Amino acid sequence: MGELAAVVGIGQTKYASRRGDVSIAGLVREAAQNALEDADLSFKDIDAVVIGKAPDMFEGIVMPEIYLTDALGANGKPMLRVHTAGSVGGSTALVAASHVQSGTFKRVLTVTFEKQSESNAMWALSTPQPFSVHLNAGAGGYFAPIIREYIRRSNAPSDIGIKVAVKDRLHGARNPLSHLNLPNISHQEVEDSMMLWDPIRFLEACPSSDGACAMIIANKDLVSESPKPPAWILGGAMRSEPTIYAGRDEVNPRAGRDCAKDVYAQAGISDPRRQFDCAEIYVPFSWYEPMWLENLGFADQGEGWRLTLDGATSLDEGGDIPWNCSGGVLSSNPIGASGMIRFAEAARQVRGDADQHQVKDARLALGHAYGGGAQFFSMWVVGANKP
Amino acid sequence: MVKDSLLQKEYELGFTYTRSTGPVVGKFLTGLKNRQIFGNRASDGRVIVPPMEYDPETFRPLNDFVQVSDAGVIESWCWVSKPRSSHPSAVPFAWAMIKLDGADISMIHHIVTNEQNRVVTGARVKALWIDQPVGFISDIRCFVLEED
Repeated sequence: MGELAAVVGIGQTKYASRRGDVSIAGLVREAAQNALEDADLSFKDIDAVVIGKAPDMFEGIVMPEIYLTDALGANGKPMLRVHTAGSVGGSTALVAASHVQSGTFKRVLTVTFEKQSESNAMWALSTPQPFSVHLNAGAGGYFAPIIREYIRRSNAPSDIGIKVAVKDRLHGARNPLSHLNLPNISHQEVEDSMMLWDPIRFLEACPSSDGACAMIIANKDLVSESPKPPAWILGGAMRSEPTIYAGRDEVNPRAGRDCAKDVYAQAGISDPRRQFDCAEIYVPFSWYEPMWLENLGFADQGEGWRLTLDGATSLDEGGDIPWNCSGGVLSSNPIGASGMIRFAEAARQVRGDADQHQVKDARLALGHAYGGGAQFFSMWVVGANKP
Repeated sequence: MVKDSLLQKEYELGFTYTRSTGPVVGKFLTGLKNRQIFGNRASDGRVIVPPMEYDPETFRPLNDFVQVSDAGVIESWCWVSKPRSSHPSAVPFAWAMIKLDGADISMIHHIVTNEQNRVVTGARVKALWIDQPVGFISDIRCFVLEED
């Protein structure tokens, strides 16, 4: 891994369906400024900027990073754009971390965003092509049959997805930055919500959000210059695979398993459920919690849903491995930023800085993002203890 | 032969977008609606038109708005003798960098005149506004040469 690096500052915007009060520049600026204040630093302390967002077609601005240099204090400094579909928030954080771990830079600002209110993300993901039937499926239409297959294989009770949807919204109600604030959501309310893509109901799907997330990643030598506890980066990994290939297991993608294996080896994780205190995992549709519990080795094959059912992943039920204490993607989804929010919220937990959704004495956490047709994965492990 | 038999087909792709202008660009565009042109003052004292959201040197937000004149001088230009359909003018015109009175940075717009020889660096021009401005840059129909 090279040089040791840590997160020394985290900044987020309030997530909302529409941030009409700011331009895109104003949105990314807000997150960056909050991260600098969290780290007690200014733009002049930053050596390079790494920015990420989902496809340009979402907002219809090609290479928006070029016009965001002023807003991010990047004039005269290296600025790099990362793009790996929905996992981009995670991979942007990893690219920023590698800029420091390589020894090239001492302190890097990394920012991700999406302004879904300016965009048409659902249909930008599902464009008509000549000579093909236009499915008009959107993300949910793509994932629904994969979820159906998970339910068939695992014999999971049909309401596990509903339980995740309620759990993550109750977590989100603890987080003042959350887009959705549904403290009174009920099992019945989710069950009664419109079936969008069977078996995915409206309330089992993520919202469309505006928002940005930023972090400052520093070399170990500069960590003490920021006042709050750091989140040490103990491992980071990315994997990808094609959307379609003969023998691909869409339910339990190999790229996800390989990525977890790699990042666990770096961080000395052999029993993720026992060793991690909590995890922030990319769950845009409720059923992806039990699916990723298995893919990431928190449960045996076909057993992931039992952790959800038993409340193991719930902060409110005192579970032993709370997942998505911030409310997760099901509570806020500015797509390009969603992966980085997972990484940042994992870091907040081990910094002891997660306020009302803090897991008591959290020392070790996993951040995870996926994108495309569940084909791009990025993960990091952060800890409170300097290795 | 095989190549000619392979199918190909053009297609169009279109989406509807929204743009939130924010407090700085929004101020500029709202000004146009009232036939006013606003810039803002950068950390080095220069008045930037159109205004920028963040200072290029200090990166601080720029909030000190300054109204400038809708007349100024040509800094440089490019004459277009045969306009195409997507150009802003159907008759010959000049793209021009225009430094409005009160501004320190020139703004790109276009000048319409039938006196091409008077389009020179230093010549004075003024905005010709459309009848009912809406808050677009095209509220300035074009710039025209001021009379001597």
